[in-house]
Amino acid sequence: MSGRFTFTTAILLALAATGARAEAIRIGVNEPLTGPFAASGTYVVNGAKIAADEINAKGGLLGKKIELVVEDNKSNPTEAAAVAEKLITSDKTPVMMGAWGSSLTLAVMPKLADYEVPMLVETSSSGKITTSGNPFVFRISPPSALEAETFAPMVAKLGLKKVDFLVLNNDFGRGAAADFGKMLKEKGVQVGLTETMDQGAQDMSAQLAKLKASDSDTIMVTSAVDQLVLLFKQMAALGLKKRVITTGGSQNPDQIIAQAGSAADGTMHLTTFLPWIPEKTPNPKATEYFISEWKKRGFEFAGVTESFRGYDGIRSIAQAIEKAGKAEPAAIAKAFWSVDFMGLNGPIRFAKAGPAGKESGQSKPDVYLIEIKDGRVVVPTL
Amino acid sequence: MDQLIQHLVNTLILGGTYALLGIGLTLIFGIMNVVNFTHGALYTVGAYLMYLAVAALGLNFFLALPVAILGGLLFGAAIEVLLLRPFRGSDIDTTMLVMIGAGIALQSGTLWIFGGVAKAIPSPFPEVPLQVGPVSVSWLRLFVLGAALGLIGLTYALINRTKLGLAMRAAFQDSDTAALMGVNVRLIYTATFALGSSLAAAAGALLGPVYVVFPQMGGLAELKAFAIVILGGLGNVTGAAIGGFILALAEELGAGYVSSGYRDAMGFLIIIAVLLYKPTGLFAKAERIG
Amino acid sequence: MSRLLPLALLGALVALPLALGANPYLLNALIVTGIVTIGAMSLNLLLGFTGQLSLGHIAFFGIGAYVSALTSLGFDVEIGFGLRVVHEPWPAAVGFVLATLAAGACGYLIGRLSFRVRGAYFVIVTISFAEVVRLVALNWVELTQGPLALTNIPAITLGLPGIGAWTLKTKLQNYYLVLAIGTLCYLVIARLVGSRFGRAMRGLKENESLALSVGINATRTLTVAAVVSAAMAGAAGSLYAHYLRIIDPDVFAFTTTVSMVIMVVAGGKGTLMGPVIGGLIFGLLPVALRPVMAPEAQWIVYGVVLILILFVMPRGIVPGVSALLARRRPVRAVPVLEASPVVQR
Repeated sequence: MSGRFTFTTAILLALAATGARAEAIRIGVNEPLTGPFAASGTYVVNGAKIAADEINAKGGLLGKKIELVVEDNKSNPTEAAAVAEKLITSDKTPVMMGAWGSSLTLAVMPKLADYEVPMLVETSSSGKITTSGNPFVFRISPPSALEAETFAPMVAKLGLKKVDFLVLNNDFGRGAAADFGKMLKEKGVQVGLTETMDQGAQDMSAQLAKLKASDSDTIMVTSAVDQLVLLFKQMAALGLKKRVITTGGSQNPDQIIAQAGSAADGTMHLTTFLPWIPEKTPNPKATEYFISEWKKRGFEFAGVTESFRGYDGIRSIAQAIEKAGKAEPAAIAKAFWSVDFMGLNGPIRFAKAGPAGKESGQSKPDVYLIEIKDGRVVVPTL
Repeated sequence: MDQLIQHLVNTLILGGTYALLGIGLTLIFGIMNVVNFTHGALYTVGAYLMYLAVAALGLNFFLALPVAILGGLLFGAAIEVLLLRPFRGSDIDTTMLVMIGAGIALQSGTLWIFGGVAKAIPSPFPEVPLQVGPVSVSWLRLFVLGAALGLIGLTYALINRTKLGLAMRAAFQDSDTAALMGVNVRLIYTATFALGSSLAAAAGALLGPVYVVFPQMGGLAELKAFAIVILGGLGNVTGAAIGGFILALAEELGAGYVSSGYRDAMGFLIIIAVLLYKPTGLFAKAERIG
Repeated sequence: MSRLLPLALLGALVALPLALGANPYLLNALIVTGIVTIGAMSLNLLLGFTGQLSLGHIAFFGIGAYVSALTSLGFDVEIGFGLRVVHEPWPAAVGFVLATLAAGACGYLIGRLSFRVRGAYFVIVTISFAEVVRLVALNWVELTQGPLALTNIPAITLGLPGIGAWTLKTKLQNYYLVLAIGTLCYLVIARLVGSRFGRAMRGLKENESLALSVGINATRTLTVAAVVSAAMAGAAGSLYAHYLRIIDPDVFAFTTTVSMVIMVVAGGKGTLMGPVIGGLIFGLLPVALRPVMAPEAQWIVYGVVLILILFVMPRGIVPGVSALLARRRPVRAVPVLEASPVVQR
C-alpha cells in the first residue's frame, strides 16, 4: 500500500543522502499499517520518524545514524509474531518497538524470549504484558489497572452510581472491563452489563439497544477511534443519552469530533496526552517541538494523540542504546533499566513489574480526563 | 419491552439492505446457474463509488446514489461479458472458480487503490434521531430502508411487468426453449448479471454512509447474502426478500438476548439448521421467478 | 511417468534445502506451502475424486490446529453447571494424533449431514460450518483465548524411549517433517484411490444413478472420503500450529480455503500429482512476486492467474501437460492420472 511505500522510500532516500547504510543502527518497528488499526499504527510510525530524524540531525547515536526498519503486522497477531521474527533474524535489529494492540504485543512476546531481544511497548494496555514474566518487555503506555487507579479519585466527583461496559472482544477490552470494574466496586459503584464487540464490527445497535434498556447511568467504552466514531453515531441514532467515558488511550478526540460531529458531544475520554494545552503538559518545550514538527510534515493534528507514543518510544530506545554503549540486544535490555528522561506525558523510567527474577519494565505516564464540548476538547473541572 | 421494540425496529432497518443483497445473488443463481463470488466485491465497489461521488467529486448525496448503482450495473455487465460468456456451458464449479478469481482481484484492487484506512461518507441527514415513544431511529437509516424497499419494488416490477422481465422468466424456465422462441439469451444473461450486481452495489452505497467504507467490507456481506439466499431457496426472489428480514431478526435477537459475540454466527447456524431440516430452503426453489 | 514424476519431485524436494543453503526466508515459505499443499491434497480427495466442492475445508485444518495446540498447552474451562474440565499439557506429538482423530470425527459428522444436500447447497453448508467454527474459536475466549491467539505452542518432539528425543525447533527439521507427512498422505491417497473404494468414488462422481444401481453405497463411500480428507486436513493444521507456535481465529480464513481450491483446480483435480504441482506453484508464487510488487497487487495477479488457467487448461496443469505429451507420443491412458470432464448441472 502507498503508506508502506512511502516509509521505505523515505528511509532509502535518507540513506542515499547520508550513505550511512552499513554504519546505521537499526531499530525494528512492528506496527499495524493495514487492517482495522491501520490509521493508528501509521500515526505511531510517523511519530517514530520524527524522533529518528531529530536524533540523526543531532549526530545520531554512538557516532552512527539510526535507521527504522518498519514492518506491517496487518493488525493480526500471527503476522505480528512473524514480523518480529523477520526483524530479529533477517534484519538483525537489536531492539524493536511495537506492536500497538495488546493482542499483537502478546503474540510477539514469546519471540522476544526465544531470541532474547528487547522491545519497547508503546501503546498496548493489557495487564498481562508486564505480569507474565517476560524480562524483554519495557512499556511506556499505562496498563488498564494503572489507568483505573488514576481515574479512581474522579469517580466520586463525577457521581457515578452504576456503570455498564462496552468493550472490544480481546485482551485490550476485556482487560479494561476487569480492571475498571474491580476499581469501581471498591469505590462502591455498581457494575452492570459487560457487552463485547469484535474489532471489525460495524453495527453495534443490538448491543446498544441492550445498554439503553439497562438502569445504569454511565457506559465505559474501550475501543479504538474508528469504532468509537461508529458507536457515537449509533448511540445518537438510538437516542442513548447516558454518560460515556472511553478508556485505552487510542480514542483520538479530534478525529472523533471531525467524523462523529455532534454525536460525540458530552463524551468523556481518558487520555495520556494533552496536545490541546501544550503548556499544561509535563514537558512543554518538547511537546511544542513535536507538534510543530508534526504540522510541518503535513500530518493531521488529530494524529498526535497516537503519534506522540511513537516519538517517545524511539527516544526511550535511543537513550537505552546510548547508555548501553553498543547496539546489542543484551546490553540494550540491561540499559533500559537506567533510562530516565521527561517524555511528552510524564517522566519515563522503568519500574519492575511481574514475577521476581523475570520482571518486565513499566513506566508510569500521566492520565487525564477530557471532555468533548461543542466540538472542542476541554478539561472538565471536577 | 422497550428493548424488544427497539430490536424489532433495528431488524426492519437492517433487513431491507439484507434483502437487497440476497435478491441480487438469487437472481443470478436462478437464471444463470452461477454462484456469484463477486457479489461481496461489487457491494464494496458500490460503497467506494458512493464515497468517490460524494467526498471526492462533491456530488449531491441523492445524485451520487444512482451514480453508484449505475456504476455497479456497468461493472456487472463487464464481468459477465468478459468472464462468464466464455465459460457458458462449463460446469457450475468452473464458473464458481472464475467468480472467486474475479472477486479476489476486485477486492485486492480496491485495497490497492484506496488503501486500508476506512473512509467515512458524509450524509445530509440530521444527527438527531426520529423519536417515537421509547424507540428511536436515525433519519439516514430510515432513508436507507425506504430506498432499499423502493429498489426491491422496482426489481419486482422489472421482472413481472416488462418485456425484459418476461424474457428473463422464460430463460429461467428453460433457456434452450427460450432461445428457440427468439429470446436473445446472451443478452438476458448479461442483463441479469448486471441487474444483480447493481443491487449489490446499491446495498453498498446505502450502507456505506451508515457505517464506514473499507476494502474488506464485502467479505462478511457476501457470506450473509449466501445465508439469505439459502434461507429463501436458491433462485427464489420472494424467498430472498423474506430471508433478509429473518436473518436480521435472528442477528438482532441473538445479539440482544444471547451473546453479542455470536451475532454473526446466527445466520450460519440458521443455514445449517434449515438445510438439515429442509434441504431446499424454507421456500423451496421457485418454479418460476417473480 | 505416473511413477517417475512423484519420485523425481520427492528427490528434488529432499535435496532442495542443500541447494538453498538453509535460507530461513525460503525455508519458511516452503514449509508453509508444504502444509497448505497437504490441505490441498486432502481437499482433492473430495473435490477431485468424489466431485463434491467443499468450501469449508479450512474448518478441519483449523480444528486440527486448535486441538493440537490445546492438547499441548493444557486448559482449564468451565462448561456450565459448575463443572470444570482441566487438562494438563501433553506432548505435542500426542496433540498431532488427537488433531487428526478429532478432525476426522468432525469430517464424519459433517459428511453424514451435508451429503444430504448436493451441489450449490453443499458448497454453502460447508462455508457456513467453517464460519461457525471460526466464530466459536473467536468467542470461546476461556478455551481458545479468542482474538488474543494461543501463544507459546510447543514444537513437536519426536522420540523413542531409550533412544532419545528431538524437539523440532529449527526450520530445517520442520521442513523434513512436513515433507515426510506430505509423502505419507500422498501414499495413503494413492492407495485409497487405486482400491475398489476409489473406483466406487469415481463411479459416483461420473454417474451417480448408475453407480447406485450396481450396488455402490453412496453415503458410506462419500463419508469415508470425507473422514479421510478431514483427518488429513487436521494433521496439516496440527503441523501449522506447532511450526508457527501461535494460532488465532484467522487460521479459519476463507481465503485459505480458496487457496487450496485454486491449488487443486489449477494443478488438476482428480489427479494424484495435481494438488502437489498446483500447491507448489501457487504456494511459492507470492514469494516470487513479493520483491516485484505490493501484496495487494500480488492478490490481483493470483485472481487473474486462476481465471487464465481455467481459460487455457480447464482440466488443470497436470492433465493438460500429460495430454500435450500424449498427443506427441500416444500412450495407454493411465487411469489415476486421467481427469474426467465433469458435467453436472
